[in-house]
Amino acid sequence: MSEQRPNPDPTEAPIEPLYTHPASPFVRTETPQQVDMPAVPAAPSSWVVYRTQIEFGLAMLAYLMVLVGSVTVLQANPTAEWRYLVAVLPVVPAALALSIFVRALSRLDELQKRIQMQAFGFSLGATALLTFAYGFLEGVGMPHLSWTFVLPLMAILWGVGTAIFTIRYR
Amino acid sequence: MKNRLRVLRAELDWSQAQLAERLGVSRQTVNAIETGKYDPSLPLAFSIARTFNRHIEEIFVSEEKAPAGRLAPTRAGL
Repeated sequence: MSEQRPNPDPTEAPIEPLYTHPASPFVRTETPQQVDMPAVPAAPSSWVVYRTQIEFGLAMLAYLMVLVGSVTVLQANPTAEWRYLVAVLPVVPAALALSIFVRALSRLDELQKRIQMQAFGFSLGATALLTFAYGFLEGVGMPHLSWTFVLPLMAILWGVGTAIFTIRYR
Repeated sequence: MKNRLRVLRAELDWSQAQLAERLGVSRQTVNAIETGKYDPSLPLAFSIARTFNRHIEEIFVSEEKAPAGRLAPTRAGL
């Protein structure tokens, strides 16, 4: 054995079979192989959590600023040749808000997507129901309401639908 | 579909939020799966199985009775 181990330093010596054999008590004290605990992930930053709200809020702020600016400029120059261009300018930040909204939808996980699909379906159907019902009532003399009420109504019903279907999966 | 997600999560002492973060889903989704109100998609089920180092069948149990002799060999092989 000694000619196989030219280095006499005990720390350099190969491990004796006694300690590596499965029956050795030294092996048994080792941590089980299966325990492969992944590190607990850190809490996400508020930018990640509220990303959609922040982006959408900024886009809406831009929309309001451009809208107010556009109206102000148009009131001062009601006959200018470029008035059509200025009048349609608020559509740009609105389109930005739309793209943020669509990207936020694609970031949802599978259950959230399902809830949103159900909420959109509910809001579409319920809006159709209510607007048709009011349309029939207008036919027999109720006061005429502006079409601009349709979008807020749809948004409110979308919120109601999201709440209903969220509770359902709780 | 029944599952052992809550037990496995408790073994690791993870919160629903911590598991959700690892899986890349919302805490709401983890809760809905645990309470059996939502069955995850196949990719998410595989992701859950990988996270806990287990086979899918060890985590999710179908409430339908499997035909005799079909599931048994698979289980024996685990």
